[in-house]
Amino acid sequence: MASTPTMEDLKRALEYIFTPSTPVITVGLLIVFLAPVLVHLYITRQTPYTSLPFILLAGPSGGGKTSLLTLLERGDTAVKTHTSQTAHAVELTVSTDAGARTFREAARDDAPGSHKKFHLVDTPGHGKLRGAAMAQLVGDGKAGKTKTQFGDAAMLRGVLYVLDAATLDDSLADVATYLYEVLLALQKRAGAGRTSRSPNAVHVLIGANKLDLFTALPAAFVRSNLEAELGRIRQSRSKGLLDSGINTEEVGSEEQDSWLGEYGSEKFTFDQMKEFDIQVDVIGGSVLEGNVDKWWDWIGGRI
Amino acid sequence: MLDTFEILTTSGVVLWSRTYAPISPAIVNHFISNVFIEEKAAAAGAKDDQPTANNPPYKYDQHTLKWTFVKELGIIFVAVYRSLLHLSWIDKLVDNLKTIFVDLYGDQLKKPNTTIVHCHKFDEYFDQQYQELESRGTTKTTHAADTPLYFDEEATSGNLGDEPPLPPGLKQRLKPSAAAKDVSPPSEPTSAAASNISRPSTPSGNNHLLVGKNGPRMSRKARKMQHTHSAPASSGDEASSRKGKKAPKKGRRWDADGFADEEDDVQLDYSVTQNTLTSDSEIETVGRSTAIEGVDSTSWGTTTSKGQFVLKDLGDEVHSILKSAEAKNAASSTTSRGGLVGSGLSTIGGLFRNVVGGKTLTKEDLDKAMKGMEDHLLKKNVAREAAIRLCEGVEKELLGVKTGSFESIDSRIAKAMEASLTKMLTPTSSLDLLREIDAVTKPSATSMRKRRPYVISIVGVNGVGKSTNLSKICFFLLQNKYKVLIAAGDTFRSGAVEQLKVHVRNLKELTEREGGKVEIFEKGYGGDAATVAKDAVREAANEGYDVVLIDTAGRRHNDQRLMSSLEKFAKFAQPDKILMVGEALVGTDSVAQARNFNSSFGPGRHLDGFIISKCDTVGDMVGTLVSIVHATNVPVLFVGVGQHYSDIRNFSVKWAVEKLLSNS
Repeated sequence: MASTPTMEDLKRALEYIFTPSTPVITVGLLIVFLAPVLVHLYITRQTPYTSLPFILLAGPSGGGKTSLLTLLERGDTAVKTHTSQTAHAVELTVSTDAGARTFREAARDDAPGSHKKFHLVDTPGHGKLRGAAMAQLVGDGKAGKTKTQFGDAAMLRGVLYVLDAATLDDSLADVATYLYEVLLALQKRAGAGRTSRSPNAVHVLIGANKLDLFTALPAAFVRSNLEAELGRIRQSRSKGLLDSGINTEEVGSEEQDSWLGEYGSEKFTFDQMKEFDIQVDVIGGSVLEGNVDKWWDWIGGRI
Repeated sequence: MLDTFEILTTSGVVLWSRTYAPISPAIVNHFISNVFIEEKAAAAGAKDDQPTANNPPYKYDQHTLKWTFVKELGIIFVAVYRSLLHLSWIDKLVDNLKTIFVDLYGDQLKKPNTTIVHCHKFDEYFDQQYQELESRGTTKTTHAADTPLYFDEEATSGNLGDEPPLPPGLKQRLKPSAAAKDVSPPSEPTSAAASNISRPSTPSGNNHLLVGKNGPRMSRKARKMQHTHSAPASSGDEASSRKGKKAPKKGRRWDADGFADEEDDVQLDYSVTQNTLTSDSEIETVGRSTAIEGVDSTSWGTTTSKGQFVLKDLGDEVHSILKSAEAKNAASSTTSRGGLVGSGLSTIGGLFRNVVGGKTLTKEDLDKAMKGMEDHLLKKNVAREAAIRLCEGVEKELLGVKTGSFESIDSRIAKAMEASLTKMLTPTSSLDLLREIDAVTKPSATSMRKRRPYVISIVGVNGVGKSTNLSKICFFLLQNKYKVLIAAGDTFRSGAVEQLKVHVRNLKELTEREGGKVEIFEKGYGGDAATVAKDAVREAANEGYDVVLIDTAGRRHNDQRLMSSLEKFAKFAQPDKILMVGEALVGTDSVAQARNFNSSFGPGRHLDGFIISKCDTVGDMVGTLVSIVHATNVPVLFVGVGQHYSDIRNFSVKWAVEKLLSNS
């Protein structure tokens, strides 16, 4: 009979397990304590966990965001790009001790000095897809939910708003509207954070791209044009219709929030944003010529 | 021939490209924003992995784009060529390159947080495929050059049966150009093939009729051409490589599997370059083995020869990749589920993953949940057509996607649906009416434009609230201190003019303090609405009004007689904005209404926006919004939410999406 010895074995094994003895108890305790830890590890490994600081690239379509991204990543030249449809993050390193002064050196594998990693998040600029960038700004607090979520919104260090300085005359309305949305979102974010722990100050760099072209406006003009246009938008927004879905009771509280900059001021200037810990700079550059060192320095200062 | 071939990611980076003739980047940008972002051209699955032939070609600025898309990697393959040419082999080229590229570089593409993909070697693969397919498009005719031409024509027409016919005039022009431009005609058979390229572009239906007298003439011409063109045309990298082996093609072998035409290029090459091999029989065995097993021949190839031979080697590798992909496809379609135990385990695993997340969504998983979503949308008064399109889009997007941790299928679908609704309803450009009016009425000194009044006209079906919404907009403009002229364009319905007069009187009283000014322009009943509108605009320009609001008579959207007058109206009044008023109450008919009105203003003129009235009467069932935007891609500007002059609101996408997805 083959079954009898196995039955016996089983019986003995059961008896051994149920008899209180040191090894059995230790193994049991190990299982009890380790199981939750293992389950926890399993689950945390499943979720993408990124806590690197990140810089957001925003701006209207055709400004050169993706091009800049590829330039900074490759270090030598930007590759050809087309209209983006999805957001995309790239991991870059910036040196903390002036070891690698330019992005060209930092992009090398053997870059000198010590480094800090960060993500540069490129977002689509097409009118229908700007939600991707805005979601990063507002941050819904549910970090690591999907792969499109590039870490916590709290890790946002700065916004690099890239625009095409060569066609700014024609596209000023669109450029300014999007910038208005971005600044307003940041202002609300700063306002919301005041009650509890204040989030990191998020600064904005307006990168006037394509200065290699003949028709491009210099950074100072870009700044003044944008300020004037933002003022006009602010004016017409305040007079415009309410959004559907807002009840008349909420109006009083809402109005204060949707006014960009110093409330009731006549003219809009970027300096007004300092009240909300938002510093706005305008710096010119050219991705195609690789002339973006000042932008890189700004990024380095933010990380 | 082919102008440009590009491989780009959805994040916009061009991974690899080959340019034969430079094209404007605007072509590809237009293609992306129209097909992928706004989904104008291809309602049928821009998010799907389907062969190129099933994707409608995109035409823009005299160029045709053939494309295919790999969803899980997010890469798009685009081939651009002149619309004048009919290149039947492009489909195959794009598909093959897709298979090869994904096979070779798929791992690199899956790496997160980088845009760098090392694919310099892809040049060789591309060249190989390009040469092979380009010549193969005509090889069927090649070997028939000395056999009766009747057969030749048969093969061609059979091969290219779906080719759209070209006007006969073009045929004569294309012939020399095709032969001259072609890169690979040095050896005798291929050059014959090149001259035969002209033939596919002849109307296939005519071929059989023309054969008798046209055939021989063409063959003579082809021979002549081959003599004249063979020397100068032998440019291009592979052309030079082939020059060495002038040996005519002999002993074309047909495999039992029917591989022969695919492989014959390669077999030929082996038989030529392997002259060092001793006996014919050896060549034959080697040739056969390569035809059957690509892998074997690869290893063999590298040991025996080098240099020029690499290309053949590559050809075999390419074939083996293509074949294995084909086999995989076939296998995946035929494999049944595992045994009882296997299926049971997978079911339990599926249930577990349903709760914990991390489940890969399959069609079966989605089908049921999508049905629920479709019903939900229908309940919200979304037209069936729009609901189906939305659901199909979401299903394609989710197929093969992994759910996040602790995320159920339903919540994943809701999230995807929210994203796709938001994308659909969000306008492409900003819709700030006040700023647009300012730009026209107070042009900046630098813009060199003359001051003129801003013209808004309002159209719609009977009884949807055209006059009411017009006076609401008027009230809003008056509050912003504009001078408004209202033109009574409804010269048909009795009482319409008087109704507007009452509105104007009320508005005058309401806005006296605010500083706005409003007047009515009317010519009584029976006149031509278009002329009234034109006169009103002229009057407004003379009198210094800022805005002209034109009311029109309500008309049934399927009444041709009434709708046809809209074209004249648009031409006469030249409105800056044509707004259509639609009721939130109307159901499926909204799609037809929006479509008919959108197309009634003549070529090049469309609606600029919608006003959805009576939104307060439907509660959550605001599906009409989705239906009309689905039908026309025209954004919603305002929604009417009540009876008072102030009850008009800017349309907020977030609000609409919340209402549509709420479960109450």
